[in-house]
Amino acid sequence: MTLAAEPDEPDALFTLVETVEDLSAARTIDQVAAVIRSSARRISGADGVAFVLRDGDACWYLDEDAIGPLWKGRRFPLTACVSGWAMLNGQTAVIPDIYADDRVPHDAYRPTFVKSLVMTPVRRSDPIAAIGAYWSVERRPSEAEIRKLEVMARATAAALENARMYASLNETLERRKFLLRELDHRCKNTLASVQSIADQTLRAANSPDAFVEAFNGRLGALSRAHELLTREGWGRADLRQVLEAALAAFGGVDGERVQVSGPPVDLSPETSVAMHMAVHELVVNAARHGALGHPDGRVEVSWRVDMAAPDRRLEFVWRERGGPAPSRQAPAGFGTRLLERALGRELGGEGRLFRDAEGVRYVLNAPLSTRLALT
Amino acid sequence: MTAPRVLLVEDESLVALAMEDMLADLGCEVVASFAALGPALAWFAGGASGLDGALLDVNLGGELVFPLAEALEAHGVPFVFATAYSALPEARFPEALVVRKPVDPGALGEAVSAFGRT
Repeated sequence: MTLAAEPDEPDALFTLVETVEDLSAARTIDQVAAVIRSSARRISGADGVAFVLRDGDACWYLDEDAIGPLWKGRRFPLTACVSGWAMLNGQTAVIPDIYADDRVPHDAYRPTFVKSLVMTPVRRSDPIAAIGAYWSVERRPSEAEIRKLEVMARATAAALENARMYASLNETLERRKFLLRELDHRCKNTLASVQSIADQTLRAANSPDAFVEAFNGRLGALSRAHELLTREGWGRADLRQVLEAALAAFGGVDGERVQVSGPPVDLSPETSVAMHMAVHELVVNAARHGALGHPDGRVEVSWRVDMAAPDRRLEFVWRERGGPAPSRQAPAGFGTRLLERALGRELGGEGRLFRDAEGVRYVLNAPLSTRLALT
Repeated sequence: MTAPRVLLVEDESLVALAMEDMLADLGCEVVASFAALGPALAWFAGGASGLDGALLDVNLGGELVFPLAEALEAHGVPFVFATAYSALPEARFPEALVVRKPVDPGALGEAVSAFGRT
């Protein structure tokens, strides 16, 4: 059995292996930096080490362990420091005499003990960090010293990648928790909306059959309003899409019986549901008593934004023509409240329903806001 | 006894209609009803005197109603939160009454019974 010629070699190798193990167990960038700080000096035998992260166009000296202060916490342009050179070139910089090498910003080194250094990038292709080893004397490091630093840099690259994956996994889990809470919130809000529809429908219904018919129609409208929002990732919905969805069960927007025109206007989720429910009331009324129940009936829906007005306002008009004249019935009860009261309240504007000789006319006038915006 | 004068803040129109009805059924007079925080704050700051209570939805299209709750508290106006969350998003107003959505009229009646009695 032979013993190693140099007694400190196995120790240094064990330290390197243990460091690689520690790096593989690191879960955050701070833990990676702590491993480097506590072992890089022992492995390299240097007088100081620094762990540098790439931060956009800067090198960020995150952590260090040295006989005298280096640059911990400071940031330098990538083009004005050796770690930047190593990261931009994807190569290890070996500098036996820093004052004889013009890659070194000499002014930054004068206050330090450093006379020679090795700087190796972490992740050769597209480097994300660098590890520097510094000596207080001019010296050319051995091949073994350089290789040990490079091995550590490779393990560090994997560790940083792990840390990123853990961070992203945690973010995903947090996001999932948040979404579940939001889903619960939305479910209960939807139940509250259904409760409201049931209440209001019951208050106006004069028979159980009438209740069931109106309630089911409104439930369907609420469901389609949610479907549209889900399709848009529960983001904002376009006014035209809302109209198309609300009219879908009654022949849709065909350009003949029903004409729709206006600039793209997007609605907040809440407003889009309210608008959908309100238009549903207009549609049902038109189908039962107005223009959509008559072969010659027409509905023209148009909106415009008065850009010249000091507070820019939307004027939305639903106009029925050619139906039974004069239209004796406009949407009653719940419909009227939604159209005149709820939408006006929600948008800080005014909704008015008219029974013109030629048919029902509904006018909504409201200022543009986050709930109601031009796209 | 005159009807308690109540402020309602609720961002979902459908729910607001039902709450207005429930409050009216409970003998309250809804003197103002808002869908967003800004207008409600402006209305209250504009000298809403004689308010006996407020029913406040917590999350108003992503905005929390708390600044209004603080203003009400500062003026000694009692309020009740209505929320679909199982817990308030912030541990403020630990004493405040909270009714859960969908709102049970009985629970709401109990919560607003103190309005107009102080």
